[in-house]
Amino acid sequence: MKKRIIASALAMSFVAPCAFAQDAVRISGFGTGALTWTNTDKAEFARPNQASGAKKDVTTGVDSNFGVQADYAVNSWLSVTGQGLVRKDAQDDFGAELAWAFAKAKVSDDVSIRVGRMGVPAFMISDYRNVGYANTMLRPPAEVYSQMLFNTVDGADVSWQHSYGDTTYTAQFAVGKSKVDIAGGPSLDGRRLTALNLVAEHGPLTVRFGRVDGHLTLNGSTSLATLLTSLNNVAAGYKFPQAAQLANDINVRDKKASFTSLGATLDWNNVVVQSEFAKRKTDAYINDTTSWYVMGGYRFGKFLPYYSHARLSIDDSVHNGMPAACPAGYPAACTPTLAALNGIVANLRYTGVGQGEQQTDTIGLRWDFHSSVALKVQFDRVRPNKAAGLLINAQPGFKGPVTVGAVALDFVF
Amino acid sequence: MKHTIKTGLAAAALCLALPAMADVVVVVNPKAAEASMTKDQVAQFFLGKSSAMSPIDQPESAPARAEFYKKVTDKDASQVKALWSKLVFTGKATMPKEAADSAAVKKMVASDPKAIGYIDKSAVDASVKVIYTP
Repeated sequence: MKKRIIASALAMSFVAPCAFAQDAVRISGFGTGALTWTNTDKAEFARPNQASGAKKDVTTGVDSNFGVQADYAVNSWLSVTGQGLVRKDAQDDFGAELAWAFAKAKVSDDVSIRVGRMGVPAFMISDYRNVGYANTMLRPPAEVYSQMLFNTVDGADVSWQHSYGDTTYTAQFAVGKSKVDIAGGPSLDGRRLTALNLVAEHGPLTVRFGRVDGHLTLNGSTSLATLLTSLNNVAAGYKFPQAAQLANDINVRDKKASFTSLGATLDWNNVVVQSEFAKRKTDAYINDTTSWYVMGGYRFGKFLPYYSHARLSIDDSVHNGMPAACPAGYPAACTPTLAALNGIVANLRYTGVGQGEQQTDTIGLRWDFHSSVALKVQFDRVRPNKAAGLLINAQPGFKGPVTVGAVALDFVF
Repeated sequence: MKHTIKTGLAAAALCLALPAMADVVVVVNPKAAEASMTKDQVAQFFLGKSSAMSPIDQPESAPARAEFYKKVTDKDASQVKALWSKLVFTGKATMPKEAADSAAVKKMVASDPKAIGYIDKSAVDASVKVIYTP
């Protein structure tokens, strides 16, 4: 008897929402079908944190994705949103991820609070960078977008939006934690994350300031663990305290990190401009960097040709206080050991996801040939300053620059 | 004979052109506090910059829709769509509700003090208040 009541109650709860589902639940989606290729087989071009990329053979894996979102309005002030995203990421297959899942309470006309999994508002186009249709360029410039790998934050945020005269101001503050799998196996944990996002919109001009702070821990990196062990062994065996200090400075265990960015977009008559400038600072081996891009375009009816220049440069990396050679009287193996370790440490600047320096010149064309569908063609000239830059899986003998081509069909529904 | 066909064609062309030239006005519930709005104020509701009022759209095929967005937001359909997809897929806003035609917009506006819509000027009656004429 009791069971039956529970069963009918469950059935009711499934049936009841359906009665007004047509009005309350909205399903929408976006996607990009794309082909990407380059002019080299000696390194691969990928989006930030992808495990594999494009070479001379045309691939769909770099720029294709598909997302579906459901919005359910519980009542006039409470709503629930879930978004699933399918794309190639750190794991080398088209995997589905839960992009967001949050409940949003509208406290007043100006203030809303969200709880759950949300996008980290680190960039100007953070939240819709995977929605090709919402963007002018075929993909966000890697120089800037590789510098903050957290896509989502599990926590809560509060947003305030108000118009004074013809200017709309938005302030958003999020707290929570995040975790992201890194290409190659490790995972990066972000604890005590805070994100501030300030936006002002005045007619065709939008400017924004963003700041993300947190504590990073890198788990599961065997190469990092090996390096730290070797340094600590040198510190203990040869009595070099500098080696222990260096190991400590390199390690990514509860290390402070920040990402500060400024951005602006202009959509004035037929002129389209978008630019971002960002600074990253960390207390670990992960480089302190400056990155920026400027994109300009001009709309000719349904056609929007654009050009962009992006650059990533290293401001500072971990300080190495170890001597180059061992003092007289040390074992013969000492100096070669130091040399080997110094070599590895010097290379850290160019090792791992988002490390390195490069610049890219991009030309492209967006064609809004149909309602809700856009076709894009884009060519990038990628110039790594040293080593492979942000290109991945580079083989011996690789030398830049690399030309990347892509054709994409973006849609929303 | 040839002349008749020409006149007929001209008349047909005129008929086709007529709906696109229909004047659009922006309406709210008569109980709404505002007596008038500027173009930018109207635009902010339809471009998702403010959620103080709930915008009501006409279908994508409706000439009133294209005219409204061109005149009030200076944007064409695909620009508006790209803009909304930014808001929708970040969970910041949901697309405006859609009503079948001017009469349906009027009905929704008349029943919701927070609704704002656009209708053909000829459809205006006492159930709604004209707040902006482009």
